[in-house]
Amino acid sequence: MQFSLPPLNDHNLPYPDTMHPIVVHFVIAMALFAVLCDAIAFFTKNTRLYEVSWWNLFFATLSIFIAIIFGQVEAGLAEPYDAVVPVLNAHTVLGWSLSAILAGMTAWRFILRSRDPGKLPMPYLGAGLVLAALVFVQVYLGDKLVWVYGLHTVPVVEAIREGVL
Amino acid sequence: MNPELLEQLGSQLGPNGLPYSIPIHPNLVHITLGLFIIGIAFDFAGAFFPLEKSILKMLSLTAVRSNFFDVGWYNVLASAIVTFFTVAAGFYEIMLATPEAGVKSAWGLEAMPTMLLHGVGGVFLLAIIVGMAVWRGFQRFAWRKDMGRQVQWSYLLAGVAVLGIMFVHGTLGAQLAAEFGVHITASELLRAGQDPNLLLK
Repeated sequence: MQFSLPPLNDHNLPYPDTMHPIVVHFVIAMALFAVLCDAIAFFTKNTRLYEVSWWNLFFATLSIFIAIIFGQVEAGLAEPYDAVVPVLNAHTVLGWSLSAILAGMTAWRFILRSRDPGKLPMPYLGAGLVLAALVFVQVYLGDKLVWVYGLHTVPVVEAIREGVL
Repeated sequence: MNPELLEQLGSQLGPNGLPYSIPIHPNLVHITLGLFIIGIAFDFAGAFFPLEKSILKMLSLTAVRSNFFDVGWYNVLASAIVTFFTVAAGFYEIMLATPEAGVKSAWGLEAMPTMLLHGVGGVFLLAIIVGMAVWRGFQRFAWRKDMGRQVQWSYLLAGVAVLGIMFVHGTLGAQLAAEFGVHITASELLRAGQDPNLLLK
């Protein structure tokens, strides 16, 4: 099977840099910005921001599936040491859950928008806050994988290869 | 920074060189980049709207052209506001960085030139992003207020150029973390000869 696989570099990746943290820029920014725009629109009655929110949410949902594909590839190549495993598992489970939640919110929003694009019911706004909270938790877990445990960083990959870690 | 100067902070700094475990700058970077890139992308979507009409119809997505320009404007505006904080946090964290000397990145640079380029580049990018937001504001509220296509082609072209600068700049930043291990707890522990697997449980 070796013939089809490119060699792994000093990040333990078949391509130059980690892609997952780049793709999640879009999910994080757009999901949070969508919730913020809903809140501002709700209080200022600027209904134009509901449309800004909808399009951000729509593309956040498309992006999260790309983020998950790269996330799974990079998690599979991460060679997590014992301390990392529980965090990586939590990040994986929450990541897939968020894809379902985001898709659900987008579907819900699609229906609300086709009925009346200028109004949002309270339960939807509440769900938006829950979504934002979950995104924060997920970002915190992902942050831990990079900034505390150093997955795919050269010094950590080196230590794993040398058997130090 | 000079280790003796860092000692003035006493025991406030953790093993990663910061007074907190997760760096703030990289988190704000997600917002800056995400919003800016999507802002430009939606202005493109607005500019080429006549071409997308049939696709949007096929997906039964109701879309009004001006909505795409709304997204373009508000996303770029939000990105410009957030970037002040991104750059401020970046400077705080760059001043507390003590990467190892003698290591070279994939681009053949050592840690100090990488940090300096990334720091100066950050201020430069902040100015560009704010400039783009102002430019966008003039198009939206004055020059092209009543036009179907709210953005100039030159604005879109400039947007693409900014994305190119962001790619170079972001890669330098990523190298600080992933290659030099700046502010990564596990890297700093390994450098100090300790076992992250035991200490980070």
